[in-house]
Amino acid sequence: MNMIEAKEITYKYPDGTKALHGVNFNVEKGKIVALLGPNGAGKSTLFLHFNGIIEPSSGQINIANEPLKYSKSALHKARQKVGIVFQNPDDQLFAPTVREDVAFGPMNMGLSGKEVDDRVSNSLEKVGMGGFEDKAPHHLSGGQKKRVAIAGILAMEPQIMVLDEPTSGLDPKGASQILKLLYDLNKEGMTIIISTHDVDMVPIYADKIYIISSGEIIKEGKPHIVFGDVKTIRNANLRLPRIAHLMEILKKEDKLLFSEEYPLTIGEARRSLLEYIDGVKEDK
Amino acid sequence: MFENTVDNYAHHNNLKGANIYFKVLFAILTMFMSLISTSPIIPIIIAVLMSFLIIFKAKIPWKFYLKFLTIPFIFGFLTFIFMAFFFGFGTPLWELNIFSLTVTIDGFNLGFLVFSRIMGGFTCMAFLSLTTPMTELFSVLETFKIPKIVLEIAMMMYRYIFVFLGEGINMYHAQQTRLGYHSFKSSYKSMGILASNLFIRTWIKGENAYLAMESRCYNGSLHINNYQNKIGTKNLFILFSFEALLLAGVYLSGNFTLI
Repeated sequence: MNMIEAKEITYKYPDGTKALHGVNFNVEKGKIVALLGPNGAGKSTLFLHFNGIIEPSSGQINIANEPLKYSKSALHKARQKVGIVFQNPDDQLFAPTVREDVAFGPMNMGLSGKEVDDRVSNSLEKVGMGGFEDKAPHHLSGGQKKRVAIAGILAMEPQIMVLDEPTSGLDPKGASQILKLLYDLNKEGMTIIISTHDVDMVPIYADKIYIISSGEIIKEGKPHIVFGDVKTIRNANLRLPRIAHLMEILKKEDKLLFSEEYPLTIGEARRSLLEYIDGVKEDK
Repeated sequence: MFENTVDNYAHHNNLKGANIYFKVLFAILTMFMSLISTSPIIPIIIAVLMSFLIIFKAKIPWKFYLKFLTIPFIFGFLTFIFMAFFFGFGTPLWELNIFSLTVTIDGFNLGFLVFSRIMGGFTCMAFLSLTTPMTELFSVLETFKIPKIVLEIAMMMYRYIFVFLGEGINMYHAQQTRLGYHSFKSSYKSMGILASNLFIRTWIKGENAYLAMESRCYNGSLHINNYQNKIGTKNLFILFSFEALLLAGVYLSGNFTLI
């Protein structure tokens, strides 16, 4: 089932410039989908369509096979299904304490006090921020703020989580903690959409990749298919994952013969190298 | 970035867990005692006691506390001097032979009383502000029936003050790096740019925050949850006996004066 389906979305800014141009975007239930694109390609603008913050100039958004309507009550429901974690946690964390911030969404859903408390402590526990309830957001580090921002969305128990550059500005450990968290959430059945420039991480977790450039989707498919099209990747101001780049050089410059597809992750690279070495040994 | 601020100490001190109503009651009652006292003795006792509580009980570093105390102290001291010179009639205590300025006994006593009340009252406020995070005070204000809209605005202001302080400091450093403050003229110019830029950023941040809130089903009102420890009868008993003791002290010290 498609959890989110964007059909021919076009969005014009009030001054007439097109931010998105006929974008088609499908996300199946239980998948992790990555949206790759250079700065200013329209990633954030597209995301804001998913819960009706922005209404497209033309085109349609379907959430769980139902077309999104822009009445107040319909948006209220849609926003419970689709949670967006914003790029800058300072934009999202507005309440004076962590607890109040995480409780904000569930409170707006009209849940009872006890239910809200449970959800707050559960979601903080999940992101590894249990015990920080009474802290003020400005006393947290960047990675901690990000995790609290994610908890704030988790507490609403959405079916789809949309994260705008979840790892930007974090140290490597913080970034991998966030990715691990998303991976775990996905295993529990959450559908996840991520925008990023981090091409090295994308092949590890993403089931499907979209590449957006100047407001248009220029490539979509499984990681191997998308990264197989090196020319498109480079035209979109992106690059291959480091591993794939190394394999590309080994193949082209040093004439090492690997199987057809470039390995994208360390695990895959290791396998093809071992295969290659075995092959060489047998030849001798 | 905000390690040495009142806010940081309010969040990290040994009395943070104590019931907020208890702390507010204690600070306000004690301040009241300091204000009704007609002799400087009780306010000075209060100032010393409060400072003791702040430094040894709440474990606020004394260096920071003394710095915190300097401004009200200077203010109080100036008040003392001016009152000594310009208030009161009667027996002169000391004559300054310029412009026939004299310090009268009456004026001296009045000035000293005001000074001690300032210090007594201020240490009470210091106790409250150094041991209680702003965030918890909001919930007290809610019980006092302060209109919700005022509280909501105050809560968001409190949160974003720190965002902008951080932003402002970053911009200031960026300007310093490019020699923005090397002369008097450039300082003026840089400061102007910083202020106007901060204004524009406020606008953008406000817009972004609103989008983020809308994504979480914001419908125009915030909800405040209140979690507190129990005060306990023992503590209440101690509080009221302490205040009664102070009241007795106020009564007994009467119109006692230094001179």
